[in-house]
Amino acid sequence: MSDLAAQVTAALGRSVLPSVIARGGAVRVVGADTHGVVTLEVAGSPGAVFPLASRIEAAIRAAVPRVTAVRLVAPGTGPSGSAAGPADSPAEAGLAAAARQLLDAEVNPAIAAHRGRVTVTGADQGWIRIRLEGGCQGCSLAEVTIRQGIEPLLRTRLPAVTGLIDTTDHEAGTDPFFSPEKR
Amino acid sequence: MTGALPAAPRVLLLVPARTYRAADFLLAATRMGLDLVIGSDGALPLGGRPVIPVNPADPDRSASLITARCGPVAAVIAADTPMLELAAEVAVRLGLAHNPVEAVRNAADKSRQRQHWAAAGVPQPRFQIVPSADGGAVRDAAAAVGFPCVVKAVSLSASQGVLRAGDPVAAAAAACRIRSVLASAGRPDSEPLLVEEYLPGSELSIDGLLDRGHLTVTAVFDKPRTPDGPTFEETLLVTPSRLPAPVLAAAVATAGQAARALGLSHGPIHAELRIQDQDGQAQPAMLELAARCIGGLCSRALRFPGGQTLEELVLASALGQPVPATRHDPARSAGIYMLPVPRPGRLRAVEGRDRAAAVSGITGLTITIPVGQQVRPLPDGDRYLGFIFAEAGTRHEVEQALTAARDQLRVTID
Repeated sequence: MSDLAAQVTAALGRSVLPSVIARGGAVRVVGADTHGVVTLEVAGSPGAVFPLASRIEAAIRAAVPRVTAVRLVAPGTGPSGSAAGPADSPAEAGLAAAARQLLDAEVNPAIAAHRGRVTVTGADQGWIRIRLEGGCQGCSLAEVTIRQGIEPLLRTRLPAVTGLIDTTDHEAGTDPFFSPEKR
Repeated sequence: MTGALPAAPRVLLLVPARTYRAADFLLAATRMGLDLVIGSDGALPLGGRPVIPVNPADPDRSASLITARCGPVAAVIAADTPMLELAAEVAVRLGLAHNPVEAVRNAADKSRQRQHWAAAGVPQPRFQIVPSADGGAVRDAAAAVGFPCVVKAVSLSASQGVLRAGDPVAAAAAACRIRSVLASAGRPDSEPLLVEEYLPGSELSIDGLLDRGHLTVTAVFDKPRTPDGPTFEETLLVTPSRLPAPVLAAAVATAGQAARALGLSHGPIHAELRIQDQDGQAQPAMLELAARCIGGLCSRALRFPGGQTLEELVLASALGQPVPATRHDPARSAGIYMLPVPRPGRLRAVEGRDRAAAVSGITGLTITIPVGQQVRPLPDGDRYLGFIFAEAGTRHEVEQALTAARDQLRVTID
């Protein structure tokens, strides 16, 4: 690990990770180039992490003045973010359409039993962005549905898919099929 | 930054339908590169990775289904309370290190806890177990333990079905009310109630991991604003504890003794204790213990060396990896404000969230009950409105930040 990456890792632990973990996500340093551009990999709930992007960058740049920019990437894309084509390219649009077709045919009929629905909102470098609606929005098992059901299905059937990014605002769900209870 | 494993061990994670804990365990498993098999009473099989439908109320049949379908696994984990007994049953059948089924049953029943602790000499409140709904029996039990006393459902948790009573009539009324809570929760009429001495004093919780009976502490939370009753909402939790080291050591020893007295030997525990002043000496006494991690979203306040989460430690421990003898980063104080439901009705709004989140030291705010849902306060309800998280240089700053953030929220229930 470079000196800059080590400094950023230390800063993350002090002032960024608590906020990210508290929201159900995680970040780690995966790259730091000679121009001071630092790349952080996001894990867990990207919907809970990406809204913090400007705060994360501000905290890191305040702690490590050598940092000139902070990039957030999904797992597997690495510092170059080159797992697949660029966002909004014809290839990505085609991937999003294929994912949409597969989900409409094989997933939405099943999760309709829980009043739920999943929609594809875009594709970026092999990552499919989805939004859960209805009974899935805010459901205590939404993460299980995504990570054990939807994501492996898409990755198996569409080899260009790297993974899913859940952009759902789960706190705004008004009719989750299963509400969490503290035990 | 995380303890990624060289291979991809296969782990069976049992996830109840109504839990806060699913996402954090899935995130931990992803960060560790584990291959998960899910057993659940709520998840839909969608053609991806295996999801085995189970019924935690029928552990024998569910365990048979799991062992027939899940294939070899290196560990079995219950994500939350309803799956604990099934996890133990499955582990027995697969020959995996785990708590004995009977030990898990002991931990799930507050009357059995009291009996085992009494037999083992674990310090605890005086208690009586009342086997029926007879008001006279409740009054007699309350008189035997002394007033004020606490009347408890033996099968519920999170302070649901727990009431303090100051006299015999109040004790009988509390028992009646708790019977009604139990009926709403689908518990049988035959379930006994626990009547126990009310212990004054500061309250704390101890989380840890057992490995062949040896307890490694992962976090100690002070509960500086636990009410004196009649209900016992958990609100403020702050770590590390402010207790002097000798008192803390005695409390940890008591929690470990209590866990072993129940027969627990492996995996996470969450113990709740009070510190009594006896003739100028601080003495810990056991209130309750569960064979799981701290509940709700509270574990998100914790972080360990290398950025590991509590769930990662639990998974690593279940896989036989050593748990580092260290607690939540002691250099930083952290805390949680669990937002209780103030009154029954329909939740209409939680306003002021942006202002609350902007309070210095606040690291997270999550509202977990959707607007529009019916809510019930303790002792009837079993949910909290949400969780506020804070981190700062001192415990006092954490407590101040959490209180200030809470004061920014306006909850509308009608």
